[in-house]
Amino acid sequence: MRKFFALTLVAAAVVGLTLYAQDAVFRVKVDMVVLSFTVTDSKGKYVNGLKHTDFRVLEDGIVQKLATFAEGNRPPIQILDDGSTKPLAIADNTAKENELKGPSDAFVGTNVFVLFDTSNYMYRSFVYASDAIADFVRGLDKADSVAVYTFSRNLTRAADLTRDRNFAIAGLRKAVAGDDSALYNGLLLTLRDAAKVPGRKVVIVFSNGPDNGSMVAPDDVRAVAEDEGIPIYVISTAEVNKDPISSGVFRRIAGRTGGKAYFAKTWQKQVEAFESIREDLGNSYTITYYPQTNPNEGFRKIAVEIKSDLAKKYRVRARPGYRPRTS
Amino acid sequence: MRTVCNLVCVAVLISASLVRGDVRKARELELAGSIRAAEQEYRADGGMAWAEFLERRHHPGAAAAYEKLAAATDAGVKRQALKRLIVVSLLAGKKAEAEGWLGKYVAAGGTGWSFNTTPRPPVSSGITEIPGPIRSFSRMAALSPDLEPGELLGALARNIVTNGYQAAGNNEGLDQTEYLKLVYRYLSQAKELEKLAKENQIVIEQCDSVQTGELLKALGYRMRGACGGDLVLETVNASRAFLTIDSGFPLSELETALKTGRPFSYAYSPTKVPVLYGPNYWTDMKEKDKPEQLFIEFFMSDPQLCRLYLGLSKLDPSTAEDLKKAMPVARLRAFSHVLDFFGGMLQIRNGKVAVPGDPRSASVWTDMVGVNPDNGPAFLERLISKDDGWLAAYFESLSRISGPTLTYLTEPIRLRRFYLALRGKVTSPGPARPVFRASTDLMLLTSRLRMEANGKPHIPGTIETWRSLFVNHPHGKYDGKLTKSAAGWKEPDDLIEALFALSRKAVDNEPLKMFLSLSDMNRGRKEPITAATADRMIKDWKLFGHQYTAFAEMPEISEKLIVQYLTGAAAINGIGDVQLRADVVGSYQALTALTQIFCRNRLLTVSLDAAIEPILTAIPAVRNSRDLFDAARNGARHLLRSAGVDEKADPQAAMLGLLAGAMRPRDEQTHTILVADMQKVFDAQRLVSLKVIFDIDDNLEAPSNGGKTNVALVNRLNSRIIDQQPPRSSLSGAERNAMAFGYWVDKHIENERKTNFRAVLDKAGTDAVKLKEARGLLASFLRDTLVGLTYIHYAPPGAQVLFTNPHFVRSHDFLGVQGSNQTWRTTEVFGTGWPSSAGGRLVGSLVSLPYALAEAEQNFLIPTREQALIWGDLVPQMIVSAKVPRYWRVTPAQLHYAALHYRAGESLLAQAAVDAELRPRVIHALMRFAPPARAEAVNAHLESGRVPEAIDLVTPAEAFNLAATLIQANEGDGSSPQVSEINRLRQALPQELSAAAISQAFGTPKPTLANSYQPQLLSLRTFPTLMGYSSRILAESWESSNIYFAALADEFGMRPAELNIQIPQWTKLAVEKIFATHLEDWPALLRSLRLVGQEMRQSAKQSQQGSF
Repeated sequence: MRKFFALTLVAAAVVGLTLYAQDAVFRVKVDMVVLSFTVTDSKGKYVNGLKHTDFRVLEDGIVQKLATFAEGNRPPIQILDDGSTKPLAIADNTAKENELKGPSDAFVGTNVFVLFDTSNYMYRSFVYASDAIADFVRGLDKADSVAVYTFSRNLTRAADLTRDRNFAIAGLRKAVAGDDSALYNGLLLTLRDAAKVPGRKVVIVFSNGPDNGSMVAPDDVRAVAEDEGIPIYVISTAEVNKDPISSGVFRRIAGRTGGKAYFAKTWQKQVEAFESIREDLGNSYTITYYPQTNPNEGFRKIAVEIKSDLAKKYRVRARPGYRPRTS
Repeated sequence: MRTVCNLVCVAVLISASLVRGDVRKARELELAGSIRAAEQEYRADGGMAWAEFLERRHHPGAAAAYEKLAAATDAGVKRQALKRLIVVSLLAGKKAEAEGWLGKYVAAGGTGWSFNTTPRPPVSSGITEIPGPIRSFSRMAALSPDLEPGELLGALARNIVTNGYQAAGNNEGLDQTEYLKLVYRYLSQAKELEKLAKENQIVIEQCDSVQTGELLKALGYRMRGACGGDLVLETVNASRAFLTIDSGFPLSELETALKTGRPFSYAYSPTKVPVLYGPNYWTDMKEKDKPEQLFIEFFMSDPQLCRLYLGLSKLDPSTAEDLKKAMPVARLRAFSHVLDFFGGMLQIRNGKVAVPGDPRSASVWTDMVGVNPDNGPAFLERLISKDDGWLAAYFESLSRISGPTLTYLTEPIRLRRFYLALRGKVTSPGPARPVFRASTDLMLLTSRLRMEANGKPHIPGTIETWRSLFVNHPHGKYDGKLTKSAAGWKEPDDLIEALFALSRKAVDNEPLKMFLSLSDMNRGRKEPITAATADRMIKDWKLFGHQYTAFAEMPEISEKLIVQYLTGAAAINGIGDVQLRADVVGSYQALTALTQIFCRNRLLTVSLDAAIEPILTAIPAVRNSRDLFDAARNGARHLLRSAGVDEKADPQAAMLGLLAGAMRPRDEQTHTILVADMQKVFDAQRLVSLKVIFDIDDNLEAPSNGGKTNVALVNRLNSRIIDQQPPRSSLSGAERNAMAFGYWVDKHIENERKTNFRAVLDKAGTDAVKLKEARGLLASFLRDTLVGLTYIHYAPPGAQVLFTNPHFVRSHDFLGVQGSNQTWRTTEVFGTGWPSSAGGRLVGSLVSLPYALAEAEQNFLIPTREQALIWGDLVPQMIVSAKVPRYWRVTPAQLHYAALHYRAGESLLAQAAVDAELRPRVIHALMRFAPPARAEAVNAHLESGRVPEAIDLVTPAEAFNLAATLIQANEGDGSSPQVSEINRLRQALPQELSAAAISQAFGTPKPTLANSYQPQLLSLRTFPTLMGYSSRILAESWESSNIYFAALADEFGMRPAELNIQIPQWTKLAVEKIFATHLEDWPALLRSLRLVGQEMRQSAKQSQQGSF
């Protein structure tokens, strides 16, 4: 008999992982919600060092009981019923089931999926973009894992999820340029892969915007990211005013999923955008919880509140909600 | 009834076979599909039957079993075992081993088998060098890395011809495309890198060295940071850096070496590539632009030369040699385009050309060409140069066919008459001038013309029907001359002549499409349609012609109901309320499509007419939503009843069960998986189940009868409605304005979202009339559900669109863009790639839904190799071929029989390597399906004992057909275990294993070639790409995938029903592994199929340890 339950997860939860707190089994249930967010002060600087007790999470106005808490790339802690905490030990009993073979300490660090546009639209800036992405990969925190995907008309998995930076960069450097652009198809497939991986994950899209081949709409893809709890960061190499529709879409899918959109035409700006994303990853908080009973089977609004008086000074950036899966 | 038949047949089989106890039981078990049990019995026997069983099942243990028997004392057994060992060794590519067995066979008294000791002279060729590794050049030139060196220049030539040049803006010359410019730039960089290489290696010993600087400069990179851990390579020269990355230079490895201080070494030497006839043959044609120009640069600089290379490489070597000798190279070059497109079927043997219809037609060919075919080279020279390629196109089209159609078309008088019609007065532009062959209609006409038993062509309706079309055409004349001549038409030949004449025209050949569509419709009918119906269908062609494929697939439908369908469709077109019309069309087409699915899978328990008539009469008669709901509901219920579903059964569950393909599945496990998969898609689309809709309707009368509304039911409907998010809720004003279509679709979705059924019922209270009215609100939900059910039946593997866009089914646009009148046209994918849109949607009718869904899904497949792309027009058809056929009625004997043919084909090829008597018979049979050059290449490989190389050139369908042809002609070797088993099975189960039954079981849908989605095997030669269809007809003529997968399933001892799941999955894997160089690169498809087979064998080996 299997010792632990390996359950299918809903709402960006973790697939088939069983977490241990000393001898106690920490079961990951089907409905666990993973929520990453950042806190900034009035000047836009990250606020660090807050504790789980500083936050209150509401889902459709219902207060939620937190299960785990982590800051940046530090290991998560388990929050017990009495409010005390314990370090979380993690064991991966489902490596075979996990197609992408996420690292066993999946809850430490972030799983970063870089989606690189290699379509004809990126022809001119292809090599500079490749350099900027390589720099970003090199600069990631040691605890982070990275996958490099490329897309034109189809998606290509240039480098599967890994902590080996050289492997990821070698994959990146094998990318081939050319063909139509199906950005949202590629983004959807990347999100589907990311959703299979345990732990915190983000998708970073590096593109200049045009899409002449996707079958799926940006907002349908955004909904998948929202539901899976995967923030999307977009670095657009186009000028914001040149293609207002693409820019608007980028802003919306990034904002609604808890990510950010950057418009960085020059190499320098692209490097800065990556630096900003790295900072975001290193300065975010990640909590998990099991939703309290909620009859709403549609979109559930999430609110993260800071309990203390500091709440007025601080700003929390998180995804606005998700739709629970129906099966 | 069927079971009884099977039992009887099994009994016949057993009594017919002189087999021992264990083997008899084993055969019985094998035939019933109990492969593991059969294996036990055969194993217990351990004799020849066991070894042959293993060979028939493609089991690796066959060789060992034969080896045991080869040590037997019985000379007969020994020789038979040794013969099979020779074949098995040859198939495994072990020629030396086969020679050893052959020696033993001869020593044991065996005769008749030997290896050919006088190999034919090799094709004249020379070698050129391409700078740098071949992998890099292939990446830059978009060539598959799987190509053999000898194939490389031919593939490059194809890419240069199709992608290398474009019309210059201001003159008649040609400009290089960006693709070709990059290849040239790459060659320049590669030459620089070669200079840096010493002894074919680029070596960097030290980070801080001159060599490092030179290498980085050539690559377009520089170091950021000092040598050591902080060093990073970054772009300094963008165009060089682009070439570095795009050609796959190991930049990352170089960076790591520089960082770590380890030496970097990269093999960098020129690649030697064979050149047909040697480089001098080509360089002698014209001077090089510069003396230092490499051959490869010279070659790419001239697209016409590339085309000649292509044309000559398509001929078999001896024919090409004869032609080269007969024609000066400059003259050959002038007709290179004709050779490229239409040279593939040309062949000179012993100085003569075998013309289509030979010998009866030889004199006409002599007359038309101007040279006697006995003078082969001169004949071919004139053939390719005449009429700007039309005569060569005619020759090629006729060379591709055989049987009664060829006999009819090559009757001397007709041969000349039809050509004159085709040729017309003005021959320019020739069919080889455009990018694709412009002989599409000609090829369709010659290969799909249906012949009657009396040797005359089948004419749908009467000659009068067609005369009337040409004379009184309602939309203007097709051709003034034909309109005039049509008045005097009396014979079928007159009409066929007109169709040939129209085949030359570049415009849409409507009469040919009508003719082939109606001919295909008549193929399966007991009685062809009458002249009156044919008249009606021709008159209605413009509006409803695309719908006729449904009639071709349902040959049992009566003419009365065909006319009723058309009348109904016309009545629906007259509905003024656009929203109501869309709902009526959707319901009408969906119910017809569901009937078509039931009919295809033989699920109807009543006659087709009885099943479909109420649908065709009631729905077009509706005048409001309430009527529509009643008609659609009754139609759906009636359809379920017609499939034998009990009145009390859950309609949703019953419908899903039927759509999975079986009412009472033999394989519950597979059926459950299919139903569960369909349910997931249904839920993802937030559709309302038939049961909920019907239950609500049933419950509506309750309040007026003193009962209560079933709140729970209404809430279920409401929750589905609430579940629907607005399709573009978050769009900005500018984004909304960017939308240009879909107004009525959005309105349809919006109206559904606004529906509050609970409030409507509350308002209606107990008022029976109002409650009845409320049913009208359910009509659009029922339409979506019915449409959705057809979508989920055809959902491609993965179904990303259906899982991601919850409005995909609802947004099916039955009306189309205003003014486009797409309601009854083919299904098309519309609106892809607009950032502001609600995603692509399907537009038009449901008639070609399987293809459109596959087309929408194809770009979600993920190629396994970095440069390979999904093959636009081929992949959707591959998905259709995997998804439409169902295997519930396929018996284990049929599965084994199909697999046996495929393996028998390969086994006979292997045997032909040592059996000099068999070889010409095999090659002759192969030439019915493969072009002469390929058949000759197979012959050459076989003569040299290179069996795997020969088999690599033969598709699974060709191997299958080769075996069928030889066995039919009694020319297959009866001692081969596959052939003897085929004969035994055929004798025992003649009906179950008839050609028609096997065609239906393992065929593929051919909506373009056969105007029907009914799976069938046509056994045609693989088509080339054609104007107007690109690779689509090629894909339809590709029948190898399902045959190959059937053989694979048989090898694994699978139940036939499992193919319902496996074939779509294996097809997806195969598509993701295709790495093709160009649109006719079917060998790439074959390679990917075989890769899937290897992977599956590997995983089966790991999980089953060699057992079945």
